[in-house]
Amino acid sequence: MTRRNVAPLAAVLLIASPVIVGVAYTILAALGLRGAGASELTVRHVAAALGGWDTWRGVGWTLATAAVATAVAAAAAFTVALRVQQSPLGRLLAVLPLAVPHVAAALAALLLLSQSGWVSRLTHAAGLTPTPADFPALVYDRFGVSLVLAFAWKEFAYLVLTAVAVLGTLDRASDEVARTLGASARQVFWRITWPQLWRGTSPAVIAAFAFLIGQYEMPALLAPSTPTALPLLIYERSVDPNLLRRGEAYVVALLALTLCAGLIAAHGIWRRRLPGVTR
Amino acid sequence: MHLFPRVGRGGLLRAAAAVVALALAGGACRENPRAASAQELAEGPWSTLVAQARGTTVIWRMWRGDPAINAYVDKWVAPRMQEQFGVEVQAVDSQGPEMVNTLVTEREARGGTAGTTSLLWINGETFAQLQQEHLLAGPWTMRLPNAALVDAASPIITRDFEQDPTGYESPWGMVQFALIYDVERTPNPPTTIPALAAWIRAHPGRFTHDQSFTGLTFLKGLMYGLGGGVERFQHGFDEARYVQGRDALFSWLQSVRPYFWREGTTYPPDVAAMHRLFANGEIDFTMSNNQNEVVTKVRQGILPPTSRAVLLDEGTIANAHYVGVPFNAPNPAGAMVLANFLLSPEAQLEKQRGEVWGDGTVLNVPALPEPWPARFADVATDAAALPYDVLAAHARPEVHPQYHTHLLDDWRRVMRADAR
Repeated sequence: MTRRNVAPLAAVLLIASPVIVGVAYTILAALGLRGAGASELTVRHVAAALGGWDTWRGVGWTLATAAVATAVAAAAAFTVALRVQQSPLGRLLAVLPLAVPHVAAALAALLLLSQSGWVSRLTHAAGLTPTPADFPALVYDRFGVSLVLAFAWKEFAYLVLTAVAVLGTLDRASDEVARTLGASARQVFWRITWPQLWRGTSPAVIAAFAFLIGQYEMPALLAPSTPTALPLLIYERSVDPNLLRRGEAYVVALLALTLCAGLIAAHGIWRRRLPGVTR
Repeated sequence: MHLFPRVGRGGLLRAAAAVVALALAGGACRENPRAASAQELAEGPWSTLVAQARGTTVIWRMWRGDPAINAYVDKWVAPRMQEQFGVEVQAVDSQGPEMVNTLVTEREARGGTAGTTSLLWINGETFAQLQQEHLLAGPWTMRLPNAALVDAASPIITRDFEQDPTGYESPWGMVQFALIYDVERTPNPPTTIPALAAWIRAHPGRFTHDQSFTGLTFLKGLMYGLGGGVERFQHGFDEARYVQGRDALFSWLQSVRPYFWREGTTYPPDVAAMHRLFANGEIDFTMSNNQNEVVTKVRQGILPPTSRAVLLDEGTIANAHYVGVPFNAPNPAGAMVLANFLLSPEAQLEKQRGEVWGDGTVLNVPALPEPWPARFADVATDAAALPYDVLAAHARPEVHPQYHTHLLDDWRRVMRADAR
């Protein structure tokens, strides 16, 4: 290590230290050495959490809702970004949801989409649903419809912002060359614009997906009790009336962290293989 | 331009390990903190303690989920504490299970130094956990002058989930579980467990319970009723009796669950969600651990004005709630002055008013000096409030916290998880 490198290294460690300490504490607590109910080194929490059907059901459900929401948000964001990139007003409207806190967005979804919500009241007034129970269950529902919509709405704005920025940096000369060589508008988009757009925005898409895996407030207000979303499961275990089960919260938290880290690593490997991408 | 400095991986790892070691070094010393300070104070004269508390601040960790309770604490208790004792009261949000985690973290991180909080609002399984982890200071409660006014004959107050609170937590209030219904929608609500089952079957999709504390109290009350009465579950945790009670409860639930809201495939997260579903007409019953919540929530406009409380003849669970001083309290003197004030007749009377909180008193009202008994009798009885003698006749005590722990675990594992 040369002297020149010490300062930036110290800065990076300073910034990363809360995370490093947090992860280290989480590992110790998962092994029964720290936290409420801690006594001695044990793999009991690991076995109980990883052997539990509810954990894996939660993993599957959380990954599925986050994936669908991210896909919906990305598709909508790309479509909108391509149309509003020349319009300042359009861009402003598209990024408005960024200013709304996640918990407020979740409350809005609850007010709009629950069986006694505004939409249900409108369909009732229109004579389509005689009672609240006739309106489809979109909140606390098995498929997490309102959760996916709320997730997607929030991430949409973030992805529009990124996509507009990426589109602004694209070299338009190749579009014109392709057009003069006889490519249709559709071909230009899929062969030239899309690969560059996707390459520029994919880190943001992965970041949105990883963020949704750990999002707590929205599932707390909108998700069903079964399957139990990962963040809810972590909280539930962390305040379990049985102190001896609280260690499981840390195991599930590490599992969520591993999922996100694995995803980011896979994305990194994929990017490195792209032609012309510099690290 | 590289984001990360180019150093050998070993260097980065070594530096990271050093950061971790430094950060954990603080937690490594697990010596006993000044657990005696509240206890020491309890040995001196009360006037010294009051003088010591003057000019201090008490940070009080409590559940902050009910605006009515917050208003009582912030707008009624706090100004009087400042005025009469020169003590500033700051209530901060934290629920029982989180308090345990916070105090454990404080002990790990700061060893023998003072923590952040001087008073905790607790009961039941939180009290058990705090005692299990040795996180409470004491004994000190017998030192409070107003402790002499407490109803020492009440089994609900003198036993907190069968545990003896003596010295380590001071009673604050008493509540009893009740179902809440709307007399317009349900003119004849069921008053027995079989009648409730029949009502649920006759009204598919109109009944459920939440998956938090209130819902669990409802289930525990049913377990008493279906399992042969509370007496069978008293005097400590008994595995065989628990299994019998649980099985009776679960088979009852299996038989009515298909007629629950959303066919029992999902449950509202907490009692606030229950109230919302009830007020919006999605379900016909909500519930509360406080028999008077129906009065306060109607006044707040959260529940419809025609809401009423009903008790099941098999009995409903009554319990007391308390305040405790943590082992590392920075200001035990202020906390004890506050705990004493909370037990004063004026503070207990105000708290019991339906328009304030509706929380039952823990004082032995008939034994209070004049004019207090008359004033307590005068607390305006609301049309929605249940009469005292009816409540007393239906009250059943809490049992050992392990029943609570096991039932929650089994309910989540069996009933919640196998929802189709």
